[in-house]
Amino acid sequence: MIAYGWSTLAQFAISGLAVGCIYGLVGIGFVVIFNASGIVNFAQGSFVMLGGMTAYALYTLGGLPLWLAALLSPMVVAALGFVLEATVIRPLWRRQAPLLVLILATLELQVMLENGTMHGLGTDPHTFPAFGGSEPVRWGGVSVARQTFWIVGGSLALVAALALFYRRTLTGQAMRACAVNREVAALLAIPVERMLAGSFALSAALGAAAGVLITPTQYTAFHVALPFGISGFVAAVIGGFGNATGAFVGGLILGVLESLAVVFIASGYKDVVTFVVLLAILFFKPTGLFGSLVEE
Amino acid sequence: MNDYILTVLVLAGIYAIIAVGLNIFTGYTGQISFGHNAFAAIGGYTSAILTTDRGWPPLAALFAGALLAVVAATLVGYPTLRLRGHYLAMATLALGLISYVLSVQLEGLTRGFTGISGIPPLGIGALVMTTPRAYFVLVWLLVAAAAGSAWLIVHSRLGLSLRAIRGGEDAARALGIDVTRYKVQALAISAAYASVAGSIFGHFVSYISPEAFGLYMVVLLFTMLFVGGIGTTLGPVVGALVIGSLPEVLSGFKDYRELIYAAVLIVILLFAPRGVLGLVARRPAARPGT
Amino acid sequence: MSALLSVASLTKSFGGLRAVRTVSFDVTAESITALIGPNGAGKTTVFNLVSGFLRPDGGRVHFAGANVTGRAPREMAKLGLVRTFQRVQLFADMTVLDNVLTGAHLHTRGGLPAALFRPPATRAERARVETAARRLLERVGLGARASDPAGTLAFGQQRLLEIARALAARPRLLLLDEPAAGLNPAETQRLGALIESVRNEGLSVLFIEHDMNLVMTIAGRVVVLDFGEKIAEGAPDDIQRHPRVLEAYLGVEEPA
Repeated sequence: MIAYGWSTLAQFAISGLAVGCIYGLVGIGFVVIFNASGIVNFAQGSFVMLGGMTAYALYTLGGLPLWLAALLSPMVVAALGFVLEATVIRPLWRRQAPLLVLILATLELQVMLENGTMHGLGTDPHTFPAFGGSEPVRWGGVSVARQTFWIVGGSLALVAALALFYRRTLTGQAMRACAVNREVAALLAIPVERMLAGSFALSAALGAAAGVLITPTQYTAFHVALPFGISGFVAAVIGGFGNATGAFVGGLILGVLESLAVVFIASGYKDVVTFVVLLAILFFKPTGLFGSLVEE
Repeated sequence: MNDYILTVLVLAGIYAIIAVGLNIFTGYTGQISFGHNAFAAIGGYTSAILTTDRGWPPLAALFAGALLAVVAATLVGYPTLRLRGHYLAMATLALGLISYVLSVQLEGLTRGFTGISGIPPLGIGALVMTTPRAYFVLVWLLVAAAAGSAWLIVHSRLGLSLRAIRGGEDAARALGIDVTRYKVQALAISAAYASVAGSIFGHFVSYISPEAFGLYMVVLLFTMLFVGGIGTTLGPVVGALVIGSLPEVLSGFKDYRELIYAAVLIVILLFAPRGVLGLVARRPAARPGT
Repeated sequence: MSALLSVASLTKSFGGLRAVRTVSFDVTAESITALIGPNGAGKTTVFNLVSGFLRPDGGRVHFAGANVTGRAPREMAKLGLVRTFQRVQLFADMTVLDNVLTGAHLHTRGGLPAALFRPPATRAERARVETAARRLLERVGLGARASDPAGTLAFGQQRLLEIARALAARPRLLLLDEPAAGLNPAETQRLGALIESVRNEGLSVLFIEHDMNLVMTIAGRVVVLDFGEKIAEGAPDDIQRHPRVLEAYLGVEEPA
């Protein structure tokens, strides 16, 4: 085994944190929808993929400046999330479809979005330039890509904005009420259906933003939806599936664990690591680190 | 019947076996699994590896695969089956992804993306199956055996316990039923069905690769279950026949197959969320705010 | 006579809410005990604690001479303590008969091999169990509905079915959570007769109830909870006049 110096480990840890931010954002997306409706949105990963893809399309094919493409992408995907919720999820919700059906429907959406993207934009991986240049920042033997700062900074900014949204805006507070107790929220004349739509749009935007941030460091391709979705889900599970903060911290933990594991095992096994972490959490602390995931 | 139709029916039959097993876990025990492609992969790869590289007789390899699938299901089942609903669904989805990753990564064993070709045909000793007609007969005999054994299971004490779990876990517990143990058992049983089907698939097509057991299979399976009716013994078989024959109808749109299947399922879910031809699911709890 | 069920200083809190505070009472063999109290008094929580669905924060539960504090529901059922639920938890898509058959789970054997090969012993057992189940259904008046899906029963009949299912488990102590809720007077009377006949067979029944008529008619002993505490325990007539009980229900202070 190669002996790794501290600087290399630190490097892995930092890149792990960066990816962890992304997982955290995806995880928050899961929690947002789940809290508003009790649905786990299996299409969450597709929003990440679509975020990167849309930005790529706007920038490369549409010729828009990078910053504009990056900003528009989450909005476009949010609109898509809104449409999908209205056409597929809401009708099922109104008909009080069983849980299996709802879950299946979101899984179908994932498959369709994946396939649609594959047919539309091909199977090749795509990417676009990093924000702020590709010259990495060097500091004490550790080399950090500029995009990492954008990722971490952007994620933290989004989380802060989300916290503000929940606390200061009427819609946000209404969503939190739904999370606490949907029945009571309905009695308080909170339009639960609109919260559902809003939560989908919000989650889509978060996922897309995550996709935009991460694409310059990895490629994006139609099939990355599933691994991102699962990682985001595990992040939410680690956090206890209760609140956004828990999911974000869960994402960071997962990202670092994955990164460090890659040091010792081949990088192709990344998803296996995620799964093992999931099993471990379920086995040893099924309620998650911060929340009440499973009622025994 | 010409060879092409026989081939379509063989493939439909292979799916029917998986679907019958999945139905025991989903329709009767009320659990969700999006990872049964993993168990089919275990069967397919075990048979392929053992019969090509190591020269095992196909039947022995088939049993080995089923055993491995049962072990895997039990190991994974105990921690994950404490979850309910969507958590369980996601965990099983991850399982499916893992099996894909492993089949790609363990190149020494599975030849990665290249896949394993030259899988010998099924047979015992000198009796070897080489024609679609032979496989057709075998597969549909197995479908009958699968449906029959599923019926026996459902109408037994074991089946009562499984259905009670779907009916109400707390009530089941209050009556002394070991809910977790039975859930794991149901998963293991359905894994065995899937594994056998996966093994036969490998022998029939004589080539497998990671792509053969992807998420697409999950979508297909559930489409079959919903068309045929979850929670009936013959439903999955009917569904497999109907959906399995669609390639005939859709032969012009081959590339868009996955997309179309997913769209078909969404349409079915939207307009008949209880399944087209049968009874489905428990009464949904009243949803507040609607 | 030593108690069949003995609850000592049972305590349970949810976050800051003290749902059950040092509740102690006994249930003797072959008796009918009622657990009453205003809404939110903690009655169902006590049931959950005793039957293993919740772990107590403090106190002990003894059943049939053994310390069963914190044991899982499954184990409690094995020891002979079976409960029903406030919101009827029938297996709605199964037939009425199948529901009762599941109750016999603990007294039957056989798993996968028995299912597939059906040895004579299994078939004989099945016949025996089915006969017993049908007899139970007759007893609660549901004999004619044996083949119907349980979900199609009228509400009162569903409650009776739940009790029949619990009886199939051959409990020593039957915990009924608001069995008369939603029943009309005639049905309630039939329920009372059923509970009494169950007691006469040697079982004990502990039931939560709001229907005071039923309580006064059949209960041998009454335990009263309010805000998580036991405020009274005794014969029905005494409870009826007990000042603290009146205060709890009516909010009236009875002059000394």
